[in-house]
Amino acid sequence: MDLTVYLLDTLVFMGIFALLAMSLNVEYGFTGLGNFGKVAFFMAGAYTYAITAALGWPFYLCLVFAALVAGALGALISLPALRLREDYLAIVTLTFGEILRIIIKAEQGLAGGVWGITIPSAFAGLDLTPRMTAWANVVLVWVIVVGVFVFLQLLINTPYGRVLRGIREDDVAVQVLGKSFVLYKAQALMVGSAIAGVAGGLFAQYLRFIDPYMFLPLVTFLVWVMLILGGPANHWGALIGAVIVEFFNRGSRFLKDYLVLPFDPNNVQFIIFGLLIILLLLYRPYGLFREKPLRTGAEAEVLKWPSSP
Amino acid sequence: MAILAVEGISKSFGGLQVLQSASLEVAEGTITGLVGPNGSGKTTLLNTIYGLIKPDEGTVIFRGQKISGLAPYRIYDAGLAFSFQLPRLFFQLTVLDNLLLAARNQVGTSFSGALFRRRRWRRQEAELARKALQILELLGLVPLALHATGELSGGQRKLVEIGRALMSDPVMILLDEPAAGVNPVLGRKIYQKLRALRDQGLTFLIIEHKLEMLLDFADRIYMMDAGQVVLSGTPKEVIENPVFYATYVGETKNVTFPG
Ligand SMILES: Nc1ncnc2c1ncn2[C@@H]1O[C@H](COP(=O)(O)OP(=O)(O)OP(=O)(O)O)[C@@H](O)[C@H]1O
Ligand SMILES: [Mg+2]
Repeated sequence: MDLTVYLLDTLVFMGIFALLAMSLNVEYGFTGLGNFGKVAFFMAGAYTYAITAALGWPFYLCLVFAALVAGALGALISLPALRLREDYLAIVTLTFGEILRIIIKAEQGLAGGVWGITIPSAFAGLDLTPRMTAWANVVLVWVIVVGVFVFLQLLINTPYGRVLRGIREDDVAVQVLGKSFVLYKAQALMVGSAIAGVAGGLFAQYLRFIDPYMFLPLVTFLVWVMLILGGPANHWGALIGAVIVEFFNRGSRFLKDYLVLPFDPNNVQFIIFGLLIILLLLYRPYGLFREKPLRTGAEAEVLKWPSSP
Repeated sequence: MAILAVEGISKSFGGLQVLQSASLEVAEGTITGLVGPNGSGKTTLLNTIYGLIKPDEGTVIFRGQKISGLAPYRIYDAGLAFSFQLPRLFFQLTVLDNLLLAARNQVGTSFSGALFRRRRWRRQEAELARKALQILELLGLVPLALHATGELSGGQRKLVEIGRALMSDPVMILLDEPAAGVNPVLGRKIYQKLRALRDQGLTFLIIEHKLEMLLDFADRIYMMDAGQVVLSGTPKEVIENPVFYATYVGETKNVTFPG
């Protein structure tokens, strides 16, 4: 394969996973919700994209719809899960991912079942060379990554973001201070799921073929590694974590293709990820990037206050 | 007229009957004290009033509205505020953020408000920050305003807990041992502030073991014992009641009535 295309391919995956890591960051990093079914919403987005694209919808509408469907699923799952104790959310989301995958696998009529489904490229009509298509994909994905990044920064550095962080620390205390945590948790799951849905749509659009085996719980695991490595409750952390992990992930495949090694670097990488997580939790439990204090303008008033040091 | 009426609250945990038809009334614009031996059910009663514990029986009426059965955030909406006996702060957030989170009617705490009414909430944030700083001034916490509450000492945490309750502009505040773990001078200062707020019309129901505070500042005192409200009256009446000595103070009658 063309080396440039290989690099561009890596960039596309970095962007898609950055979206996933940022979406988990809204849920876990800021709100403290342990979503262990991230792949379900990614898959929902990918299949929504595939089905709507097959209907001939333009790609941007497919992406919007992927976000809506995944977001709606996020709201749906929040209904039972948020009323239960915290650890149940993990179980419910984890199970949800597997159930969704099994349904799609079994429903041949819906989206090809186990055989998968092909998807038209968003740039099909433009008659581009493979290299130009690769560039177009990089631009498409990263424009959305930047957009989501800015959106989340705007959403989080607000009194709203303060309530989310409060829920992460102590949801009962938030309730006592007049905010219904169920509402906020449901919204966080909706936003996170919608972003994961967009990532899924981009994934389907880029690969132009998806099948249920691409959506194993391993994807969720990778996203968690990215967030914990980068630093929860920091969007830069989520972004950089995704870039680093994807670099290793893609790099090991690259090694496999270009070098003859006595072992499969693809398998070794998971050992490395495991070690990395252990070392990180031991020596840098907050990840590469630390959570930044909230900036809403209120902090500036402290410095103006006469008796402040 | 009673602003808060607690009527026949019973609660048991497993086989343990913690509250037995406990009733009390708090008159508007008063500081009402609640005393009683450790484990007599004071905190449980306060938590029940605020919807944190569901009573087995009984009702709570606040300003003529039945609030028992409502979630705590609805009770907050009705105009009550609450502070925990053991502080439950947001430990990774700053002292300032802990107070701001308690503020009422914030434009920026809703999803759409945060995104689409930025100018409004930024102005409101500045106003609320100044209000929070006034409270922190009283509590002596201004130098720590931008520190995470996880870095504070036990007593300082207690102060932030009280600060949050003051921040929400309530009609009435439930305080669970506000002076516990706080140094005497500051404890007194806090009570003086509460009295000033009472004079402005606020109502307080305060659990307190520091008798001298209640004797100085309370308008009325209730005493609980073994899950029941057994005694009530003005501080002077209560302190002259032998039951009060027998169950709460002990043998010595040497508690001075200050002032
Ligand atoms: N969640 C619970 N489960 C079981 N027992 C409880 C629970 N909460 C309180 N209790 C019991 O109820 C009794 C009353 O507790 P409570 O905290 O109301 O006492 P208190 O009057 O506030 O005491 P103190 O002055 O020490 O704060 C205690 O015996 C306690 O063990
Ligand atoms: Mg108590």
